[in-house]
This record gives sequence, C-alpha cells and structure tokens, in this order.
Amino acid sequence: MSKLVSFALCLTLLFSIPTALHSAKIFPYDTKIEILENGLKIVSIPLDNPFIISYYTIVRSGSRNEIEPGKSGFAHFFEHMMFKGTKDVPREEYDDFLTLLGAGTNGYTTDDYTCYYVVFAGQENLKNVVKTEADRFINLYYDEEMIKSEAPVIEGEYYASVSNPSRRINETLRNTAFDLHSYKHTTMGYLEDILDMPNQYEYSKLYQKRFYAPDNSILLVVGDFEHDKLMEYVRNDYGPWEKSNHTLVTPVEKSQTKQKRAHYDWPSPTLPRLTVGFHGPAFSDETIDMAAMDLLAAVAFSSSSAFYQKLVIEEQKCQSFSTSFSDHRDPFLLIFNAVLKQEQDLPDIEEEIFKELERLKNELVDAETLANVKSNLKYSFANSLGTTDGIAGSLAYYINLTGDPNTVNKVFDLYEKITPENIQEMTQKYFKITNSTVVTLTEGKGQ
Amino acid sequence: MKKNTFYLSGVLILGLLLVFVSCSKKSSDRLHSELLPLDGNPLVSFRILLNIGSANDPFEKEGLAQLTWSMLANGGSQDLSYKEISQMFYPIAAYLGLNVDKEMSVFTGQIHIDNLEEYYSIIKNMLLNPGFREEDFIRLKTNQLNFLERNLVSNMDEQFAKEILNLAIYEGHPYGHAEAGTVESVKSLTLEDVRAFYSEHFVQGNITLGLAGGYPADFPARIKNDFSALPTGHTPQLILPEQKIPDGLEFVISEKQTPATAMSMGFPVSLSKRDSDYFALWIAVSHFGEHRQHVSHLFQKIREERGQNYGDYAYADHFIQGRAKFPAQNYGRQQQYFSIWIRPLANSNRHFALRQALLELKKLVQEGIPQERFELIRTYLLNYTKLYAQTAGERLGWQMDSTYYGYKDFLAETQERLPKITREQVNNAIRKYLNCENLFIAVVTQDAQSFRDALVADTPSPITYAGPKSQEILNEDMIYEVFPLHMKGRNIRVVPATKFFQKTGVPKSE
Repeated sequence: MSKLVSFALCLTLLFSIPTALHSAKIFPYDTKIEILENGLKIVSIPLDNPFIISYYTIVRSGSRNEIEPGKSGFAHFFEHMMFKGTKDVPREEYDDFLTLLGAGTNGYTTDDYTCYYVVFAGQENLKNVVKTEADRFINLYYDEEMIKSEAPVIEGEYYASVSNPSRRINETLRNTAFDLHSYKHTTMGYLEDILDMPNQYEYSKLYQKRFYAPDNSILLVVGDFEHDKLMEYVRNDYGPWEKSNHTLVTPVEKSQTKQKRAHYDWPSPTLPRLTVGFHGPAFSDETIDMAAMDLLAAVAFSSSSAFYQKLVIEEQKCQSFSTSFSDHRDPFLLIFNAVLKQEQDLPDIEEEIFKELERLKNELVDAETLANVKSNLKYSFANSLGTTDGIAGSLAYYINLTGDPNTVNKVFDLYEKITPENIQEMTQKYFKITNSTVVTLTEGKGQ
Repeated sequence: MKKNTFYLSGVLILGLLLVFVSCSKKSSDRLHSELLPLDGNPLVSFRILLNIGSANDPFEKEGLAQLTWSMLANGGSQDLSYKEISQMFYPIAAYLGLNVDKEMSVFTGQIHIDNLEEYYSIIKNMLLNPGFREEDFIRLKTNQLNFLERNLVSNMDEQFAKEILNLAIYEGHPYGHAEAGTVESVKSLTLEDVRAFYSEHFVQGNITLGLAGGYPADFPARIKNDFSALPTGHTPQLILPEQKIPDGLEFVISEKQTPATAMSMGFPVSLSKRDSDYFALWIAVSHFGEHRQHVSHLFQKIREERGQNYGDYAYADHFIQGRAKFPAQNYGRQQQYFSIWIRPLANSNRHFALRQALLELKKLVQEGIPQERFELIRTYLLNYTKLYAQTAGERLGWQMDSTYYGYKDFLAETQERLPKITREQVNNAIRKYLNCENLFIAVVTQDAQSFRDALVADTPSPITYAGPKSQEILNEDMIYEVFPLHMKGRNIRVVPATKFFQKTGVPKSE
C-alpha cells in the first residue's frame, strides 16, 4: 500500500468523539492512570482515532513558583532552556529528530504550570518520542554561555507583544492588586528581571532541581497507541529520573482592606480600557466557591447577559466586555475587562460594574439563565474535544490544578449542584469594594 | 440614481486597473457544495464560502465586503435581533465566525448534533434574511473604524507591519487596501451600500455550502433547497493587473514611539498552490523559514544563534495561522506573494537583523538549498502536513481549498508529489521565483529618520551580546554588519503611524 493510499485511508476513518453530553461524565474517555516509583504520574488515553498522538509533559511549576525577588519570569525562561538538548542528544540532534518526525512541538508556561507537547503521526514513532523526551527531562544539559545566549530571546518575546495594551493593563493590575503573592507578576516577568536573566545560570540549576522532577510532573498521552506499549517504554526510560521532594511555600496574600487604583498612559492612539479585579478563591473541585464564580461570570456578564447586551450591543459604550475568572492553585483575581469607545465613559462603566455586582448580591440569578449557562459550559467543553490536542490541552488545564484527571468531572458535577442561592452567597463574599483594584489605560504621553 | 452614478464612476476608474469578464470556465450561476459526511461524529461543521472578498470592494467604498458580511455574522436577522441571537446561541455554545480575505470570505460554525436544527434555523435567517438594522450597522462600522484608527496602528505592531507590506506590494491593485478598508471609505459607507453589496454578491453562484460531520443524510439537500431561494447568478472572477515588481529595495517605514522594531518584507510571486512548481518552492521556503518552527533557517540564525527576537519566518504564499500553528484554510487568491516576517526586536538591532535576513536570502537564491537540508525538509513536510487536517472543519476547509486550486485532495497530492521532487527542481524554483534584490520592506519603528539615514549611508551596524559568542558567529557578524544594501534615498518612504489607513495606498512620506 502506497503512502498516498494509507494516508487517504486514515483520513476516512472517524475520529472517536463520543456524544459526550449523553454520558454520565463530561470527560468521557477511558483514562488510565499509573504512577512510577519515582512519583511520575502517567495519564494515558488510547483512542481509536487515526494516526495522531499528542504527548504532553506537564510540570506543575509556573510563575507562581517564582517566589524570590528578582526571579520573575524564570519558569518561562526555563521552558526555553528545555529545548537545549542533552549530552547524548544535543540540541541540533533533538531538533533534527523532531523535524524528521514532522512533529508539531512547543511549550507554554502559565501562572501554575509549564507544558511541553509533541504532536506526531504514527504509533511506530512512540518509542523514540518517549526515549527522547525522557532524555531531555532527565539529562538536560546547557552551559552558562547558552543561558546568556537564550536570555535575550525572552526580551524579544517581551517585545513581540509590547504594542498590546491588554498586556500592559494586566501587568499593572497584578502588580497593584497583589502585595506578597507571586501572582503579582505575569508569566513573562518584569523587564528588569528579564534583562538580568543572562546572570542566572546558578539559579537555573536550583530551579531545575526543585521543580523539574518526576514528583512534580505528569505525563499525558492521548491518541492512537497501545497503553501497555506506552507503559513499557515509559518505565524503561523515565525510571532513572530522580525525585525532588521539594515543597513550595507560596506567600499568603493579606486581606485587602481598601480599594486600590492605578492608571497607565499609553503613548499612541488607543481605545480607553478599564479593568477591575477582585481577590477571589483558589480553584477547588470540592468546595463551591470557584465553580460558583464561573457560573456567575457566565450568567451575569457573558455575551448573552443583559449587562453585556446593554453596554456592547444597545448603548454601544463598550467595544468589548469580558470577564476572566481563571482557575488558579492559589487565590487569584476575578477580573472584568472593558474596552470603551470614549474616555469620558470610563467612570460610568466602572459604576455600572459595581452597580451590577450590588444587584447580584441582593437578587437571585434567574434559574432558567443558570440552566442555560450550565448547558453552554457542557457544550463548549464537548466542542473542545475534536482533536487529540484538544483533549490533551483541556485535560492538562485541570490536571495541573490538582494532579488528578478526574478533577474535570468533579468540577462539572459541582456546576450541576450550584443553586442561585449559592451564587448570591459567593457574590456577597467576594465582590466587596474594599477588595477591588481598578486600572485604567488611556491615550497619553506614555510612561 | 445616486447609487447608479456611484457604481458607474467606480467601474470607470477601476477599469484602468482591471476588467470584469462575464464568465469563467468554472463559474456557474447555481450553488456549489462540498460535503464531508462522518457518520457518528457528534459535531457538525459549517463552512459557507463566498468567492467575494475585499478585492471586490467598489472604488472609494473599501471595507464594504467586510462590513456587509459582518452585518450577517454579527448582526440580527429579520426575525431576530442580534441580542436575541446571542441569547439563543449561548446555551448551545454556538457561533457564526467570519473571515474576510481579498477574494474569499467564509462563514464558519461548529455545533453539537443535539442542537443542529436550532442552530441552522438561526444562521439560515442570519444569512438569507439579514435584518440590516441601523443599530447593528453603527456598532459594526464603529468597530471597523476603531480597528483601523486605533488598534492596527497602535496595539499590534506585527500585524501593522504586515498590512504596510500589503499596501506596498499592491499599491493601485484591488488587493491594495486592508480588508477593513480605509478610515475615509468606511466613514462614507451607508446601510444602503451594505444592502446593495449583499444583493449584488450574495447570490447562488458565489456560494459554496460546506458541511462536515455527522449530519443527517437529508440535511445537505435541505440546506441547498433553502439557499436556492437566493437569486441565481455569480460575480465574474476579477481579472487582476500584473503584479508590481519592486525597484530595488523599496522601504516604507512607519514612525511611532516604540522600544521594538517590527518588520515584514516580500515581493509578488507568479505561482500559487495550483502550480506544480509550488511543491518545490514549498520545500525551499520551509527550509528558509517554516512558520513558528525551529526548523526555520532564519529562526536559527537570528533567534537561536544570536537571541535577537522571538522568531523569524518565511512564506511562499499568503499565510494566516489557523488552529495551533497550522495554516488556516479558505484564503485562496489568484495572485500570491513571498514574504519574510522578522518578529519585533530592539530598535538598536534593526539594521543588523535586516541585513542578516537579506544576506541569508541572497545565499538561498545564489546557492540553493543544501543537500542535507533538502532531504530533511522534504521528510519533514511529508510528516508535518499529516497534522494539517485534524478536525472535521479543517478537513472540510482543505477539501474546499483543493477544489479552488484544482486538486481532488491537495494534502494527498502533497504526499504523492513531495517524494518525487529533486533538489535540482527546488533550486530551479528558487531561481525562478525568488530574488534578493527587489523587495518591498515594511518597518514599524521609532526614530525612523536615523534609520533612513543609516540605510542610505550603508552605515555598519554591529550588535553586542550579553555573553561570549563563538568565533564562528562573530566572524559571520562581521559580514552581516557591513552587508551593503545599495539604497537609494528615493526608495525610502517615512510616514507617521497615524497617517496609515486614512486613504487607500501608502501615505505620502513627510
């Protein structure tokens, strides 16, 4: 059979997306979990889809782990260093291996975790992927010169989004809202810390020892492979990886007692922006706080809400309005973002947000709307499962939070249980004016 | 009467640039369809493709295609306001997406089979019975203006440089304005213009109904029946003018306050995916600058060896990133351009990086692709393209693009053709289609005048590093930093950022 025919055949096969919404669990795939003696957890989801395997390594370390002064952005920097190869497989050889494989590959760093992925075709390649990935996690090698050479790339990455005001307002919000916790800085880090990265060779070794260890990492493999084969390869290649036993203690943020404000002058024409953040709960798949916030964001502020419709569609004072109530391992911010059309409306929109939150403290959300939101969350999640990558990426997000792939099912079970009364209670708990930070950005002279 | 006058004058002026023909071989006055049934798949993907884009904008009405299609995708239908649509879409996690390019626009959607009937009943009316409400018009027109006046020039420098490159390559050409139009033209658009554009172009022969997934067997016939209510007819394919070859290095530099310089450069090429040479040139350009991949030679030279920026890439034809880093579909064009994308770097390094990109291009043109890279990249593309079409929507998109470019299955064709291509064919394609002397170069930077002066004087442009570098790199740097560009002052236009997109074309330099 020629390559052409076999490739065409694989495209006629059906990707096995279950009709998720009729099953008992939101995440319907048969998930196998195994843990090696060194603590490495393997989450394996073999599918009968054609051809493709997504191989994810989740290191549960992100900018949250940058608790020491001067080290902001280091998790992201270290992600770059992970592509430098080993003594056995130097960078050029590693690159060539991935090139011949035709793999889609990269890494990304978030506040809480760093994820590396290799997406490739053909289960006959799995053995070599496991071997090569295990080698770079266990035997990563770089010298001081390579650190100095890579550090300016981060500066370049910083520059790539320097013209985006959203990034600037996000940096300002975090820096203002947090005093102690490492969520104070973004994943990219402060520019002065980025500029000092060439001098951080010693710290990089400490960082690696603490966090790049099997007891802080999870292997997530989704796609066309046999579980037993995967485990045979993994046991053989990841066995020598040594535990870290490091415990991270993140600083605890003190309760905020009065509203904070900040402003950023943007040096060229831009639409005015307003961001309001409230200190919120940490993620949990046991208690309802964060799950209730997810539902509140959707009920009261999503594109179908009366609030959004009024500001964006009817009065058209805002070009866009969105919330960002993202899940974090430690308490993070519940964020409202507005892009306005006219600067003069900034006070009005700010007042509208606080007024709506006050209303929600006093009135129960409509039960039918709440049911619609629960439906949206389920269908949105099902829509994300169209590829091995979609499955792995969605699951990586939840696995990072607790280490347990079943978290995704537990959190959707929580959604089902939450009532309008629960949402009202949580609104009263978190949306206090003293707990808020307001940041504006308008056209000015720059700063 | 006013409308007639407007169209007449528009056609007269455009007549200098292009000629409409009454019919092309593949056009018909009836609906087209592309189907990809996947029994049992619970998701259904829609791609409703129009062979109409911003190149069809009437003269002085640039941005009309985008505004018109946006009124369908982001406005109400006759029976439902946009607010009502948003509220009905929400519980079923539905959307109607829109991409507008020069000669194509596509409405996209994906819906769970549970909600197919409800979703289709809504989008059917959005597309076939649009509401064209004044409030939607004001909202969407304002958004389009804000994009041109504020966002593009101020909040997204990489995209800004790419748009400037487009203005430079296609000056006086139907592709020569942003899809969003110009500030002046968008301000002049009326709801009447939108209605007229819809009536003229949203006709059966311009539409391909694309469906993929586990839809019911009778569903395609039902859609076809519904869309058959549209008038028959089609818009003749544009006959485009010859593409303009730059005279040496032609710079357009946008001046603004910024710590980083964004650059894009390129020139028109006389081939597209429909040509057999494309596959050979694809190998060359993938070697030189595969999008967002370490395999890119430019990425290795500028980022990996010297740490100057986040990445450096090159493209054999117009490229828009889709899911992950793979190419998006349904951006088909008759005419194409080669381009290089240098991601933002410190202003102090802009001259060096530019010289580096141009010298590497010169080496590619003069020396061709090294043998070991040829073999590596050919294998790479054979495997990497297997990842291109993973979702039903992507597979449908590629199926539609295959039809556009004249293949039964472009990706299967890739598997068949790439193994047969020789290094000699790749080097012939490089010599035939690429050059290193005549390029348009778009730059967004600060203190543009001093950059201009340095370019004209061919001033050496050494860079410094945070740490030690190998002698090999330092030796190479000595060549880069004095690589002569032989600039002529008249080929450098410096324009304040806020002057762009006010009118069609590259603004006059100051």
